Amino acid sequence: MTKTLPKRAAVVIIGGGIQGLSVAFNLFEQGQRDILVLDAGYFQGGASGRNGTLIRPGFASVAWTELFVLTVREWKSWSKRLGENIMFTQRGYSVISEQEKSEAMLLEGLKVQQSLGVRSRMLTRREIDDLLPAINKSRVRAVQHQIDGGVAPHHAVMKGLLAFCHRNQVDVRYRTRITGLERTTSRVTAVLVGEHRIEADCIVACAGPNNPDIAALAGVALNGFGMRIEAMALEPTRPLIKPAIALIDSLAYFHQTSRGEVVGGTEVPERPRMSLKVDLPVMANMAKVYLDMFPQLGEVRILRHWAGQLHASSDFAPLLGEHPQLKDFWFSAGWSYGFAGAPAAGKLLAEAITKGRIDHRMQPFSLDRFEKTGPIVEGGIVLA
Amino acid sequence: MAISSEPQKTETTFLWNGMAITARPADKVAAALWRAGITTIARSRKLHRPLGWGGVYTTGVLARVDGRPNVRLDQITVQNGLRVEAQNVWPSARFDLLRLAQLLPSKAVYGGFEHGAWMPKSGLAYRLAERVMANLAGVAAPADAALAPHALPGQRVNVDCLVIGGGPSGIAEANRRKELGESVALVTRGDKLARFARSMGEPVEPLHEGIRLFEGMELFGAYRGGAIMVGAPHDHRKAAVVFEPRSAVLATGRRSIPPLVKGSQLPGVMDAHSALQLAIVHGVAPGNRVAVVGTGAQDAVAARLAAVGVRVVHKGRTEDLIEIQGRSRVTAIRANEGIACDALIHAGPWRSDPSLGFQTSGEGLFQVEAHPLPQSMSVAGGAAVPNEPIRARKNLHPDTLICPCMDVTAGELYCHIGEGETDPEVLKRLTSCGMGTCQGFPCWEHMLAMLASRIGVEPDSFARPTHRPPRRAITVAQAAGLAGLVEPDR
Repeated sequence: MTKTLPKRAAVVIIGGGIQGLSVAFNLFEQGQRDILVLDAGYFQGGASGRNGTLIRPGFASVAWTELFVLTVREWKSWSKRLGENIMFTQRGYSVISEQEKSEAMLLEGLKVQQSLGVRSRMLTRREIDDLLPAINKSRVRAVQHQIDGGVAPHHAVMKGLLAFCHRNQVDVRYRTRITGLERTTSRVTAVLVGEHRIEADCIVACAGPNNPDIAALAGVALNGFGMRIEAMALEPTRPLIKPAIALIDSLAYFHQTSRGEVVGGTEVPERPRMSLKVDLPVMANMAKVYLDMFPQLGEVRILRHWAGQLHASSDFAPLLGEHPQLKDFWFSAGWSYGFAGAPAAGKLLAEAITKGRIDHRMQPFSLDRFEKTGPIVEGGIVLA
Repeated sequence: MAISSEPQKTETTFLWNGMAITARPADKVAAALWRAGITTIARSRKLHRPLGWGGVYTTGVLARVDGRPNVRLDQITVQNGLRVEAQNVWPSARFDLLRLAQLLPSKAVYGGFEHGAWMPKSGLAYRLAERVMANLAGVAAPADAALAPHALPGQRVNVDCLVIGGGPSGIAEANRRKELGESVALVTRGDKLARFARSMGEPVEPLHEGIRLFEGMELFGAYRGGAIMVGAPHDHRKAAVVFEPRSAVLATGRRSIPPLVKGSQLPGVMDAHSALQLAIVHGVAPGNRVAVVGTGAQDAVAARLAAVGVRVVHKGRTEDLIEIQGRSRVTAIRANEGIACDALIHAGPWRSDPSLGFQTSGEGLFQVEAHPLPQSMSVAGGAAVPNEPIRARKNLHPDTLICPCMDVTAGELYCHIGEGETDPEVLKRLTSCGMGTCQGFPCWEHMLAMLASRIGVEPDSFARPTHRPPRRAITVAQAAGLAGLVEPDR
């Protein structure tokens, strides 16, 4: 990091993960120049390099589904717009219920999804056999299949975003930690990196689990806390599992990557914890889920198990928009499906910042919803 | 056992790609194949380079055994009728078209399966290409459905002291703790204690009675600062063990790191541990003309090999080695002079595997870094000796393999370094270096050494990429048997 930091930037983005780079990319596309991205860690060091890479359009609530229908549409155009192959593949996303109660929930969600144009449906037993030949059918009660869902390997996506930034003079600095924020009574004005001050017209916080700390640097509060989740990868084999999978009763998600590893995670205690250390129970529980659902995975060896961190809001839904107490201080925060949601979030935030227009799909996720309209109720998320 | 190819009274026959191989009853499969002249066991993932039993690189000994993928052939004993098959072949091991990939230049797979540089970008075309890629990258077919494995219920073991490593220093430390009245368990990955020391002809003290011995087990994980340590037996039919030791001793020894030169993945290149196992335990010569290099131990290793009838044609220093030549196995080495040989044994540089210590003490939110070990954990024997440096030339041959599992070459890493990327964590993510079978040991040793030499800094000045459990030491069925055994850390 020998290049000196600028003294001014039109937009400073805090966090060079997929949220930050998506905001940068969309801002650039919408004509914004003079963008600076600062990140305390290394490229892909945060959740953007540690997530399960699953992408789906359909949830159980209107708010989530509308946002994620947009995100899938964005994902489809990213390779072309970035000029880099991000390897997004719509191989389908199956949400599986093992119990009566969760089946009813899938059916409810289906109504919402279909009313919003999501191509999803419940599979027949025959279709389950065709699509998931290796699954333990005795454990499956119902499958809600979303044809347009899929995965995109995070290393390819992040590489594509960073390459776009480099090509277009969007200045991205890793290992560069914000130490302070300057403000007036009504707006933020600058970021501090140690002694160095960078004046900004607009600051966008995309700092994952550190978002509450970033807000605190400006003397304002932000809902939620940083928490640790864990995932693991199995040794590669040739294809066994085609679609991406979420188990809403076992609280697990996984898929087989295009290079053969089965990657996924399962439930962890939902409490504030800033740590990248893994714990044994998650590996054991995840292994049990694999063995129960796909018995052929039983003889496969576990390659690695890692932890990552996310910013959990009170309703586990994202916090998108300008801070209610400070002008020009924007957030793409509170994410638990952040990898999937980043293309939509980047687009809508960039529109809001450059055009001052708050899209109706972003509105429900405003930062002050807890005081104004209440939390978003969404039963279809697996926070693991 | 002296080298001999004489038939034995009792013999076992197993199948290699459908071909009957005769073995001695106590043989490891990899040794029996070597005796039968079969040195290429596996092929690298992208360029299908031949790989064999090399010791520290385990990718070279992975094969399908009785319908189970990725079984380590240096860990399993032959049995009559065992069905062993090469992986990463298509349509069959005997007529393998994928082998043609060897003709591609290394450059063709920079980024390779990981970044899809040469894949179509549009939806449907990409999905078709992805299907082909997934079959190529997956290497091994999934396990046979008929195996229907069950969870293997694990056990918890509470001891005053857990010793990890069954070499002379591990045994000595276990015995000392036992004499102090502590309850002691010792875990060794070997199927016998002190395999290396015995094969070097060194005296080995017996393990005291009453010490719980876990042989053939890999201790792979240190959780909660070492309060929980987990091991799994190599034997996939046996359950994993959760240790809750009040103190632990890392006596994990040192491994010889392969020479950092072109050709170091070739069948015929072996670390001293494995070569001595092959020659002395199994009675099979590593080659007809054997070269031994090292950082001081080469003379002793060569002498042991010569004593059982191995023909040693060269002894030299690892740092003088320039290249290892050969197509499907070693045919020569280039050092100060060219030497024709069919095996190269390396005995140094010696380095200890940092994984367990790193897992125990690693902390950090933007970079996980190892810290001093807790007081409850100590290091003994070879693992406590400072690591020997790896000498890396500034300009390695671009085809020098740094990570044989993922076909990551020096040339690919140089491309990224040339673009200004010198962060080991990022190089790992850009190339997948160290994300295969070995999970970073020894290939990060090579990556850090060559990176440091390229940009002119000390290798220790970098933060290491994060070492993670369980490094393929445990199967899903073994891990599933640990569910519910330990309460989540709330």
